[in-house]
Amino acid sequence: METDKQHPDRGSDFIQLSCFYLQDTFCGLDINIVQEINEDLQITKVPLSQDYVIGIMNLRGQIVTVVDQSRKIGFEPSVISEDSRVIIVNSQNEHIGLLVDRVTEVLTISTKDIADAPSNIEGAQGKFFKGVVHTAKNEILALLDVEAVLTEDHGNDK
Amino acid sequence: MSGVIEDEILQMYIQESKEHLEDIETDLLEIEQQGENVDEDLINKVFRAAHSIKGGAGFLDLTNIKELAHKIENILDLVRNGQMIPNQDIVNTVLEAFDYLGELLNNAVDSNAKDISEHIEKLTGLTVSSLPEAEKESVSNLVDVSHKKVPVSFSLTEFDLKNGRQGGKLIYIFEFDLIKDMERQGKTPFDLLKLLEDGGNILDLIVSMEAVGDLDDEEISPRLPMYVLYSTIIEPDLVGSVFGLSDTCIYLIPADHESMESSEDHAEEETSEVIEEASPSLPAKMPPPPEKAAPKPSPRPDKKKTIKSVVSQTDTLRVSVGVLDQLMNRAGELVLARNQLIQSISTGDKQIIAAAGQRIDLVTSELQETIMQTRMQPVGNIFNKFPRIVRDMAKNLGKDMELELEGQGVELDKTIIESLGDPLTHLVRNSADHGIESPAARKEKGKNQTGRILLRALHESGQVIIEIHDDGKGLDPEKIAEKAVSKGLISEDEVKTMSAKEKVNLIMLPGLSTAEQVTDVSGRGVGMDVVKTNLDKLGGQVEIISQLDKGTVIRIKLPLTLAIIACLLVSSANERYAIPQVNVGELIQVPAAEVREKIEKVGDAEVLILRGELIPLMQLGNVLQLQNTFYNPRTGTYEVDRRHQLVDERILTDTEKTSDKRENTDEELTTAERRESYASDVKIVVVQAGIHKYGLVVDKLHDTVEIVVKPLGRHLNKFEIYAGATIMGDGHVALILDISGLARAANLRTMAETDRAKQIAAAETQAKEGTSRQTLLMFHNGPDEYCAVPLHMVLRVEQIKSSDIEFKGGKKVIQYRGGSLPIYALEEVANVEALEDREDLIVIVFIVAGHEVGLLAVPPLDVVEADLKIDEETLRQPGISGSTIIRDETTLMIDVFDFMKELNPQWFESGTEENGLSAETSKTAGNCSDVLLVEDSQFFRDQVRNFIETEGYAVFEAEDGIEALQVLDEHIARIGLVVTDLEMPNMDGFELTSRIRKNERFTHLPVLALTSLAGEEDVTRGREAGIDDYQIKLDKENLIKGIHKMLHQG
Repeated sequence: METDKQHPDRGSDFIQLSCFYLQDTFCGLDINIVQEINEDLQITKVPLSQDYVIGIMNLRGQIVTVVDQSRKIGFEPSVISEDSRVIIVNSQNEHIGLLVDRVTEVLTISTKDIADAPSNIEGAQGKFFKGVVHTAKNEILALLDVEAVLTEDHGNDK
Repeated sequence: MSGVIEDEILQMYIQESKEHLEDIETDLLEIEQQGENVDEDLINKVFRAAHSIKGGAGFLDLTNIKELAHKIENILDLVRNGQMIPNQDIVNTVLEAFDYLGELLNNAVDSNAKDISEHIEKLTGLTVSSLPEAEKESVSNLVDVSHKKVPVSFSLTEFDLKNGRQGGKLIYIFEFDLIKDMERQGKTPFDLLKLLEDGGNILDLIVSMEAVGDLDDEEISPRLPMYVLYSTIIEPDLVGSVFGLSDTCIYLIPADHESMESSEDHAEEETSEVIEEASPSLPAKMPPPPEKAAPKPSPRPDKKKTIKSVVSQTDTLRVSVGVLDQLMNRAGELVLARNQLIQSISTGDKQIIAAAGQRIDLVTSELQETIMQTRMQPVGNIFNKFPRIVRDMAKNLGKDMELELEGQGVELDKTIIESLGDPLTHLVRNSADHGIESPAARKEKGKNQTGRILLRALHESGQVIIEIHDDGKGLDPEKIAEKAVSKGLISEDEVKTMSAKEKVNLIMLPGLSTAEQVTDVSGRGVGMDVVKTNLDKLGGQVEIISQLDKGTVIRIKLPLTLAIIACLLVSSANERYAIPQVNVGELIQVPAAEVREKIEKVGDAEVLILRGELIPLMQLGNVLQLQNTFYNPRTGTYEVDRRHQLVDERILTDTEKTSDKRENTDEELTTAERRESYASDVKIVVVQAGIHKYGLVVDKLHDTVEIVVKPLGRHLNKFEIYAGATIMGDGHVALILDISGLARAANLRTMAETDRAKQIAAAETQAKEGTSRQTLLMFHNGPDEYCAVPLHMVLRVEQIKSSDIEFKGGKKVIQYRGGSLPIYALEEVANVEALEDREDLIVIVFIVAGHEVGLLAVPPLDVVEADLKIDEETLRQPGISGSTIIRDETTLMIDVFDFMKELNPQWFESGTEENGLSAETSKTAGNCSDVLLVEDSQFFRDQVRNFIETEGYAVFEAEDGIEALQVLDEHIARIGLVVTDLEMPNMDGFELTSRIRKNERFTHLPVLALTSLAGEEDVTRGREAGIDDYQIKLDKENLIKGIHKMLHQG
């Protein structure tokens, strides 16, 4: 189980990542926590909520909070466009929607290929990434730490 | 061993144990009451509860729980056998032990680490004391019971062992294999324990972990033996078949081996087994029971941690099978209806589709109802803990009281039941602590010495009512009102217009707790407001009905369920929001034409004038910081901000500017223009929640719908402005507003608005009643010269044109009510600016020394309420008593008496002749013609004294009834009339009057009551007390007439 203490994810040989873009950054999430990817963007704003909360949506009768990942991580806020999708993930027994700018493919990567996040990702942003992967297509894929992105404490109450 | 099995079992055990504990209190209390004639069934019931808890605890290795339950069991057994008579002490000890047992169960995993010695000692003490001398030792003496073929040995007290053998019972050791006998056969250990308990008594049981081995072991043993030390009357040849055990797993323990006492000579059948004697000749003192756990496998603690996390998360509910069956039926119907629908859609037959739709509608609502039923729990669940609470309190407080319960079967939603516990406890404790008097006090009042508290639940018009009655001392409305005033929660003037019931209900204002001393039992400085807030959260309403010395009824109205509520839908900035119907008072649409009349601006705040009440207005859009939709008078268009824009604006980089611009334009709109923005109808929802009542201005009002409340996710559920969200028919999501949360969120502004609005409302009502000592009529004299007179001095206000003024005989007069009214300008006396020269003027009419006079003034007129901090020096001059600051303007206070004195000194010298009161009369003061004025408010006292003195009478003053009696006592020779206020601290006017009437020396005195509002009730009450006449406080004319009349009669 514990071949590398820094990256416990490297234990199993291959993991599948659901990949998407946040602005120009190519990111991936462990597919096991992804429930579905949603095209329906009927989001109801929640006034006075933290700025990274876009609003709430109806997921088959369940109220799901939609979070603007870009904003939470510290990028520019996402702009909802035709390509925008909401990735529904499971976090702490709750479904939460993550807004992404564009979804791409599902990649299978070897855990051995996961490298530390580049040191020039600033400390604050760095905590949102578990590491990076150099893909076969010669792209850099950032492995997101969903729980870090979904912590509630961070954010400005208006 | 698999941790999962243990977790499940542990949870089952905890749940079951808690169920056992539920009724214990009630049962024990009943046992206590029955005393000697204790009902055996009842004892058995409690005994069984303790017993099952013990059994399971042994199985799960919860040694502390087992030990404690066991000791309780011992006591109960003694009671059952008539060896002990349950008295209060015994029941107390047992109750406490059960309480602690409950506590241990709440955290069963850590229970072994808790200290139970205190309870054990007490219980053991009780057991010992009830035994005959010779047997006393047996309680503490431990013996080991073991068997050659059994790898474990049991350690128990001699006393227990003896009990196990009583009545010719046999003692066995059974060996069950939890894996082979249980799991593989689909049984749970509890099934087994139940079976065993039905057939006899489990003295002890041990699950042998050693047999399982460690994970590190090469081979994992497929056995998990559990050894049970069992006492039963079943014969050895039957035991095997009863419990499904092969004979090799049954070991009979012969009677003589462990018994030290020759008397215990049971006729035992012989046994081939050889018994090892653990404590060979003497009952050695064994280590205390908890240490028995020592030989258990060491990895235990780690395992427990994992159990803990699982245990704390589960939340289960018992549902009757009938309801589940019903649910199943409904689900079946739903499937049928769906099939019908799908079929009819494919054929396209509209009629059948419609029919299917109807059917689905019907089934859905039935389904919904049934599901609701599964959540319904009887209120008895929470009621049942109160007998104990009341009993304990009675004991602690030295009071004598009993609690009656009614309607325990009334059902409420689980969530409501759960949240109801705390507020109800608070209320019941309040009743017991503050309501019910001490037996002595009750006797004195002629009441039954035993106080009675009734807690009952009932259905009423679709709601559940819970009432707490007590026949205690009741609440004193005056005291509460006084306290509310002294704490600055309401103004004295507000109090005057309040009914007794309203005053009593003031107790629910935050920051008002009437407990004069904080007792240990209740009233830890937290007041009824906490109760109210808690109940508000449940959508409940509280009402208090109280009669002094008769008792108090607290009535709580609760909705049946919280999951589905009726809501009013509104929209603001194109988003829909739901407002719970319970919070909605009324809906008001102010037509554009009436906006100016009905909506007032107070500073920055807007208030709605609704039937004389001022209601602060809050724009939903502003509170939520939405871009409001507004009418732009410049473009003449109705600008609506679309949601996309909003989203865009939040995201685009250059939007900052756009939104800035928008704000600027908003700000550029002057007040006047903003008023224009009301050019369309204003829709207001008047909402009320707790202490908050306000009007919510929304863009649109929609329907009232039944909605299903859905919780918000963890990022949002901390916002108090939302109660949750709901999904609308079209699939969109709407937020549900929390009305009190919303008010709190807008705290700074709205609370200020509320206060301001209250002040204004107070000023308005006072203006009507003319009662305020702080209400001023403001007017202008010079263009920027602000003047004010106390409003109660003003007789009338007339609007005139400057051309109406006639100059007759060197005096200015106007025609007024068929006569001439002399009018004066302020500048004639005081050194002020000349009256502004303008067309429309105002004449303020006063009566001074019996003369009607008019003072010329310049509009606008205004009525304000202000603290009269009058600077009596800086601007003091004839006709002006000083200055004060009102609304940031220096305002001259006009002294009308002084003003007229300057102009017409003769009125004040020969003075009162015109009123029919001769100068001599006033000079004969000392001859029973002085007036005693009793009034608690200083300012008001001064004013009335002024009136009376102007009429030539000498005035004695007193602040309340008590002081008045003192003054009367000293000066009775001079006093000819008592003029008294009714509402006063310490002793009110009614009381004062009846005392006067009862006192021979004073009884001849006429009493004239001053009142702000002479209600029928007050008048009758006053007449009964002996009040001769009523006058409205500042109706000067009539007041003076009344005084004349009385003094002359007198």
